[in-house]
Amino acid sequence: MKSLTPLLICLALLLTNCGKGDNSQKTDTKKLVIGASMLGMQSEYIVNLSDAMQQKAQEMGAELIIVDAEKSALKQTEQIESFIAQNVDVIILNPCEVEASSPAVAKALAANIPIVNVNSETTTQPTAFVGSNDTESGKIALRFIAEKLGGKGNIVMIHGFMGQTAQIQREKGAQEILKQYPNIKLIAQQAADWDRAKGMDLMENWIQSFGTKINAVFAQNDEMGMGAVKALTDAGLKDKVLVVSIDAIPDALQAVKKGTLDATVFQDSQKQGAGAVETAIKIATQKTYEKQLLIPFQLVTQQNLTQFLK
Amino acid sequence: MTHFQISKLIKALGQYGIFAAFVVVCAVLSVVTPQFLTVANLTIIITQVSINALLAFGVTFVIITGGIDLSLGSMVAVAGVVAAMLAHPDSYPVVVPILAGLLAGILMGVFNGFIITKSKIAPFIVTLGTMTIGRGLALILSKGRPISNLSDSFNFIGGGQILGVPFPIVVLVVVFISCAVLLNKTLLGRYIYAVGGNEQAARAAGINVNQVKMTVYVLAGALAGLAGILLTSRITTGQPNAGAGFELDAIAAAVIGGTSTTGGVGTMTGTLVGVLLIGTINNGLDLLNVTSYYQQVVMGIIIIGAVLLDSWNQKK
Repeated sequence: MKSLTPLLICLALLLTNCGKGDNSQKTDTKKLVIGASMLGMQSEYIVNLSDAMQQKAQEMGAELIIVDAEKSALKQTEQIESFIAQNVDVIILNPCEVEASSPAVAKALAANIPIVNVNSETTTQPTAFVGSNDTESGKIALRFIAEKLGGKGNIVMIHGFMGQTAQIQREKGAQEILKQYPNIKLIAQQAADWDRAKGMDLMENWIQSFGTKINAVFAQNDEMGMGAVKALTDAGLKDKVLVVSIDAIPDALQAVKKGTLDATVFQDSQKQGAGAVETAIKIATQKTYEKQLLIPFQLVTQQNLTQFLK
Repeated sequence: MTHFQISKLIKALGQYGIFAAFVVVCAVLSVVTPQFLTVANLTIIITQVSINALLAFGVTFVIITGGIDLSLGSMVAVAGVVAAMLAHPDSYPVVVPILAGLLAGILMGVFNGFIITKSKIAPFIVTLGTMTIGRGLALILSKGRPISNLSDSFNFIGGGQILGVPFPIVVLVVVFISCAVLLNKTLLGRYIYAVGGNEQAARAAGINVNQVKMTVYVLAGALAGLAGILLTSRITTGQPNAGAGFELDAIAAAVIGGTSTTGGVGTMTGTLVGVLLIGTINNGLDLLNVTSYYQQVVMGIIIIGAVLLDSWNQKK
């Protein structure tokens, strides 16, 4: 019955994990309470971000209640309403959407509870913002490609989910750099919804239509970039085509180490999460704080890889 | 043309519409893009559709009995994550993750079948519940993170080749033949049609309707498990978010291929052509660099068109 063992392990894992969602501890009266609503714990980056927040909160002796909005702006607004009802000291919002999450910010401010946006923005201005400017990441990726190609060649761009802030801004950054290099031609662009399998399918199809004409691939996230790398490797073309993506997820870092992915752009979940909690606590304890704390993106290549590998 | 001729033509279109549409699409693509009709490109199309094909075969069984399964995409994720957890290099022999992935799908199928046959809750509702449960399980097991670093032998399933034929195509062919034989040549196959055609009559004829229903949901689960293994191996990582919306592609393929959502009607060959049609159109639109916005519109029109043909055909 060897085949049953793994299943039992999985079941056991499942059971031991069951209670862990409930982070609310019994408060001693002095402890500062922070309520945080996260975009969606289905995304690895958001999981890392909330881990960093939790760690920082523990370090600073604050109680952090983290809830998952499951990518629904409506749910997020309801969560903020319940934080207001619980009368938390300060709220951290990792917005689902620029417009649709704005009412959540407005509600917190109306209830006189300070609110810190982390990682992405809302139209309604919060008390403070901690994050990175996604346009910058697109610029960094394209600048690297442009330099490697010597300012001349054909590139393809794999978009994330069309219409999402990250997709719009990463494209905007990429296009800005492309304008500076008239000899680099964007010969095809298509959405693969942040998904590795879809990125791979798309790249396979592009290899059929363009063959060796493609000199570089810009994928708006690592998942799709890894898909492109797999497709190019299978077709025996990886040596000839540059692939650059964004996020610096562990898989991508490993790929950079192996040399299959040429570069990725690191978005610092650690600093964003810690910065958000720190800013929130500063606001709640009436200390001076930065209204906009921008954490810079960094290009990761084989040269500087070691500092990003944990 | 007389009225009689027109109705005959519509009937023919209904019966062979999907095949005709597929041939027309291929012909058009061959003309407009020289890259389309090449062995390499056709190989890629069939490899890409293999995952949707497995799900579509499974859901065809289910739909013929008059049921539906919305949990297939989540099963893909659970099976993929479970397999990936056990597929690290130097951990278990490759058969362990494969069996575990299959078992995960089978268990979820058993769960669906059990609730549906015991409770009389509509399959739509039950599998909608399982869809959410499955997604949650995949996230719990993986702690929300993709599981990578899989062994070479595991990655062979989705990326390897046998005599130059990509392994997913081998799987697709074997599964297709097995499913077609099961549906057309066995007693169980006849029972599946009978249950979907008229459940009362099937029961009166002494068919154990619940057993047949249980079997189709387990079959769909097992095939979804296999699809999850294939996907995980192809992208060399187990992803808790994988497979979202896959059930709808599978249902679309079955429906385009002439499976009637009211039950009792459908063939594996039709579903296979439905799968190939969807894959070919996606591939063609990529080759032509048509934006994904239009791809979605085109796909929707094809789905509705296929069902319209089907309903006209039934009226005649």
